[in-house]
Amino acid sequence: MAENEINTLVVRKPCFGLPTGCTQCLSAYLYLKFAQLPFQLDFHLNYPDSDQIPYFEVGDYVAYNNEKGGVTECLKRDFGVVDLDIGISSLPDWISTKAMLTTWLADALAYELWVGFEGYSSSPAYTIYYSDLPWPLGKVLFWRKARWIKQKHGITNENAELKKEEIYRRASSAYGALSTWLGEQSYLFENRPSSLDATFLAHGLVVLQALPESSVLQPKLLEHGNLVRYVQQCKTELIDASPTPTYAWHTAGSSSTSSRSTSSSKTKTKTKSKPKREKTEEEKTFKRRSKYFVAAQLVAVVVFITIMTSFDDAEVGLDE
Amino acid sequence: MAENEINTLVVRKPCFGLPTGCTQCLSAYLYLKFAQLPFQLDFHLNYPDSDQIPYFEVGNYVAYNNEKGGVIDCLKRDVGVVDLDSGISSLPDWIQTKAMLTTWLADALAYELWVGSEGYSSSPAYTIYYSDLSWPLGKVLFWRKARWIKQKHGINNENAELKKEEIYRRAKSAYGALSTWLGEQSYLFDNRPSSLDATFLAHGLVVLQALPESSVLRSKLLEHANLVRYVQQCKTEFIDDNPTPTYSWQFHTAGSSSTSSRSTSSSKTKSKPKREKTEEEKTFKRRSKYFVAAQLVAVVVFITIMTSFDDAEVDLDE
Repeated sequence: MAENEINTLVVRKPCFGLPTGCTQCLSAYLYLKFAQLPFQLDFHLNYPDSDQIPYFEVGDYVAYNNEKGGVTECLKRDFGVVDLDIGISSLPDWISTKAMLTTWLADALAYELWVGFEGYSSSPAYTIYYSDLPWPLGKVLFWRKARWIKQKHGITNENAELKKEEIYRRASSAYGALSTWLGEQSYLFENRPSSLDATFLAHGLVVLQALPESSVLQPKLLEHGNLVRYVQQCKTELIDASPTPTYAWHTAGSSSTSSRSTSSSKTKTKTKSKPKREKTEEEKTFKRRSKYFVAAQLVAVVVFITIMTSFDDAEVGLDE
Repeated sequence: MAENEINTLVVRKPCFGLPTGCTQCLSAYLYLKFAQLPFQLDFHLNYPDSDQIPYFEVGNYVAYNNEKGGVIDCLKRDVGVVDLDSGISSLPDWIQTKAMLTTWLADALAYELWVGSEGYSSSPAYTIYYSDLSWPLGKVLFWRKARWIKQKHGINNENAELKKEEIYRRAKSAYGALSTWLGEQSYLFDNRPSSLDATFLAHGLVVLQALPESSVLRSKLLEHANLVRYVQQCKTEFIDDNPTPTYSWQFHTAGSSSTSSRSTSSSKTKSKPKREKTEEEKTFKRRSKYFVAAQLVAVVVFITIMTSFDDAEVDLDE
């Protein structure tokens, strides 16, 4: 039936004037807009850790982001969504720009969101990912991600300043490179939109809209007038033109009123059942994981203190 | 005295026909060769985890790799080593290529060395980093780095194949991009050597010389004949010409005989490792003991929790 065949992109919650606050979700959203595939948005408000989100579903078909290549690659393969990267994805510049966007720029934004702010509540990450979770769980997940980011970059107390400066310096170089590359064109490659435009614009929108004025990354992006213009233009064309109601959608071949009510109820049921089903599986896993995590951390702290005082006693204790 | 003024680059041990098996050390070595700075090599055989290595010392001056910008940038700033990147380091292509080399390619090689190999003893990482350490310590450090790499990429049992394929796919794209970019030129940019050439050539030399023939990454690099030519040419010019004795050195110091300066530099390098040994080795031993103990405890706790969470909570509260 037509109601079950509505293309739905499930993303994280809208915030900061954006249809979704999460860069990966926003990048998928922009790609589908560039590809002119009609779809509606739906929101999955929990599971900030989940790498399945964003996912795309229509009827019985689901494409998760943690499948090969991500959600847009799955759609290109399985669904015939137009491949905007044809002819350019083998260019050396395209490949190296993609590396730069997905490593240096993504790392800098993640650093700023999870490590760069004074605390959990003052970071935009709270609003984007955790505000719908109970406070302790959100705080633990935030802290865990912050710790992962520090481990990834090898950040310790001694080198924290150096590493921070290095991360932002790379982002600054990346912005400079993109600015020079873009020049006065409308898109990064061959004057037509590609997945790299979607990736960068998603990053730019979050940096400009979600980060506060005290942010380190935002002024670095603001230094480049053409990049700001590029992001603003995207915002005007693709985001402000499609205001963020609970559902933003186009469906062909049915009257808007009846299909609106039918599809609303159908999608509501479908989306309600989907979160419910996942809730039983994932929420249990989640609760168990977070309990284990807190317990293991307490134990590690206790052990560390024991070891600091007397290593031999601890060894005997462990051997029991 | 003139003997104390010998430029010395301290790197990890030579192996696989290379002056040093570690890509970061080799990259610094190649940069100094490109910059035509006379220097000698010295070897620091322990502390595979240390991010201070490679370091450069002359007289009282030391530049560690974990200082701002790495050892090469320190040398450009403080010692006046020629900046091979001037005029090109602000080009978008240069910046993007640097990102690609230092992330996608470096990640793929690290993955292959620590995670992709069959085990500790069969990985070239053993020879490059751990063969001079005692077996348990080396194994623990190897395992710890492997675990760090998996955490960094978010690899777990479910997505291991997918992540592996993704890491190698990116490396393959990167090699393709470099091959197209290099074409028939002798260097990546402006037909002159730069730090990016040093970075890529170090990577390429380790991939071609240290990795076994069964290696995935090596076969991907071999697909690009011009990259292989580029690496081979570098090897011929900068490595085969300077055979790897215990010390391979050229220096110009006015007014001292080579014999006396050789023995003096030996004693200087001996004292440096000794001093570090007292500080670092203690830290190292303590860290590894803590690490093993914490892991045992974590395993015990996990088992306890799997059976009964409430009991575990009561135990913790005592």
